Amino acid sequence: MAAPSTAGLARRLRAWLPRLTQVRWSRYNPSYLEPEVNKESYQRPLEELSEEEKEKWELRALRPIKAAPSSVSSSVFSDPTISKFTNMMMKGGNKVLARSLMAQTLEAIKRKQLEKYHKAPEDEKETIECNPYVIFHQALKNCQPIIGLCSITKGGKTYQVPIPLNDSRKRFLAMKWFITECRENKHRRTMMPEKLSQELLQAFNNEGPIIKKKHVLHKMAEANRAYAHFRWW
Amino acid sequence: TLRLIYTTTAVQRRNAGASGPEKYTEAFIKKQIEEFNLGKRHLANMMGEDPETFTQEDIDKAIAYLFPSGLFDKQARPMMKHPTEIFPEQRKIQWGEDGRPLHFLFYTGKQSYYSLMHETYGKLLKVQKYQDQLTAQDLLPQKQKRNLAGSRWLTKIELEEMLLEKLSDNDYVRFIQLLEKLMMMPCGDIEEKYIQKFSKEVPVQLQKVVVEPLKYDERGVAFSTGEGTRKTAKAIAVVYDNGTGKMTVNGIDILHYFTVLQDREQLLFPFQFLGRIGKHDTVCTVSGGGRSAQAGAIRLAIAKALRSFVAEKEVEFMRQAGLLTVDPRVKERKKPGQEGARRKFTWKKR
Repeated sequence: MAAPSTAGLARRLRAWLPRLTQVRWSRYNPSYLEPEVNKESYQRPLEELSEEEKEKWELRALRPIKAAPSSVSSSVFSDPTISKFTNMMMKGGNKVLARSLMAQTLEAIKRKQLEKYHKAPEDEKETIECNPYVIFHQALKNCQPIIGLCSITKGGKTYQVPIPLNDSRKRFLAMKWFITECRENKHRRTMMPEKLSQELLQAFNNEGPIIKKKHVLHKMAEANRAYAHFRWW
Repeated sequence: TLRLIYTTTAVQRRNAGASGPEKYTEAFIKKQIEEFNLGKRHLANMMGEDPETFTQEDIDKAIAYLFPSGLFDKQARPMMKHPTEIFPEQRKIQWGEDGRPLHFLFYTGKQSYYSLMHETYGKLLKVQKYQDQLTAQDLLPQKQKRNLAGSRWLTKIELEEMLLEKLSDNDYVRFIQLLEKLMMMPCGDIEEKYIQKFSKEVPVQLQKVVVEPLKYDERGVAFSTGEGTRKTAKAIAVVYDNGTGKMTVNGIDILHYFTVLQDREQLLFPFQFLGRIGKHDTVCTVSGGGRSAQAGAIRLAIAKALRSFVAEKEVEFMRQAGLLTVDPRVKERKKPGQEGARRKFTWKKR
C-alpha cells in the first residue's frame, strides 16, 4: 500500500474498516492486537527503538491484546515454522500424533548427522551441520519455488500462466510437497519420521525428489513464458 | 389517523430514520413528552418521593416494584422512559408545501451523506489553501504526532444514527478515508473541532487491574492465588515462593496428569517468560473442559497469581505476551440446516 510513513497508525486503523461481507469472524473485538511472545523483544531499552517501533509500542500499551494460543510458548523449543509444519501433517485433529512424529523426525535427523559426524575425518567435522532445526529451515528454504503457475481461462482455453508467488505461498508449497512426497512415495513398511528425515537431509543438500519437483515447476514456468502477459494483477 | 408504533432502540438501530416518511408527527411527540412528565410526577407522589428530584433510575425502580415481571428479556418488561428514547429520531418531511425539496441534494437520494461529504471536502480544500499560504511564507508548522491510539472513528451504525440515513459500507469507507486525509495534513489542527464530532474516545483499555498483595501462610512462605478459565475448564492455582519448581494438579504430579508435552509447556510458559522456572511451587485444582482447555485455564491462573510476585513493568510485558487475557473462543453452535457449525450437508444435484 503506498501510504506515507506518518500514516502507520492510520493504516492499522484503516485495516479494521468493515468489508462488504463478513464471512470469517472471530470472538475477539477487532481492536485486539496479536500477542508478542518473544522474550528478547521486551528486554530492549526504549532508546534503541526506531520511530515506527516506538509508535507500535505506544499502541500496544493502550489496546487490548488477544490471548496467546496453546501451540505457542516463549521457550526456545517452540518454532513457528515447525508448528505450522506439524499442523499441516496433522490428520483429523490428532495433534498428539503429529507432534510425536515431528519430534521423532528431528531426533532421526540428529542421529544420522551425528553418525556422519563421528565417521568423518577431522577437517570435515566442521562442515557437518548437526542442529536439526537449522537443517529443517535450510531444507524448506531450498525447496521454495520462485515462480508458480496459475490456470487462467481465456477465449475458452485454459493456459498455465507463470506468476510470482508470495512468501507465505512459497513456504506453504514447500511444506505441502514434503508431506505429500513422504506420504505417497514410500515403501509400505517405512515409518513417516524415517522417510521425512531422509527427504529433509536430501533437500538440505539440494538433491532428492522435492528439489526435482521444484526444478520441474520452474522449467514449466520458463516454457510457458509466452503466456505471462495474460496475468492482469 | 396515525398508527402508533412502539419499537425499542435496539431493533430500530437498523432502520434509523430511513424507513420512509415519518410515522408520528411532532405534535404527537410533544403530547407524549407532556404525558410522560405528568406520569412521572404521579409516580413520584405514589412512591412518596419528591416529584422535582425524581430521576430516571428512580422511575425504573418504581416501575420494577409496581409491575414485577418474570420475563427474561429485559426489553419485554414494562418500562417507562422518556419518549425520545422510545421513539427514535426520524427525518422531518424533506419538501415544502409546494412539493419542491428543501435540501439542494435531495435528488441524490442520500442527501445528508452527500452534504456531509461536500462539507468535509470543503474543509479539506480550505486547509490546503491555508497550507499553501504558509508554504509560500515558509511558515509550515511541523506535524505534531497525534495520539491516534486513544480515539476511534464513529462506527457505521453510529454514523447512520447521526445522519438518520442508511449508508452502504463503501460510503462509510470513503467518508473515513476523507477524514483521515484531513487529519493527516499538517494544518489539519484548524479543523480539530469538526473532526472531533466524528471521533470517540476509547476508554483506556488497561482498566488498572488491582494486583493483590502477597499472603503468608503458617510456615512464613509467601503465596498468591489466581483463577483461570478456558472453554469450560475452571482452574485455581496457588503459587508458593521459595520452591523447587514442583507442580501438582488435583493432587497428582503434572508429569502424570498431563501426559502430552504441549500441555506441560503451556503450564511452564508464564514461569519461562519471567525467568522464574525453579523458584516457585504450585498447587492447582482444575475441573471441566478437556486436556488442552485445562492446561490453558491453569496457565491463566498461574499468570494471574504471578502478578503479585513481579514488578509492574513485567505485568505489562505478560499482558502484551497474551498471558493475562481470558481466551474467549468457545465451541460454535451447530446451526439448523447444516451438519455442524460450518459444515453443510452434502450437496446433491437432484
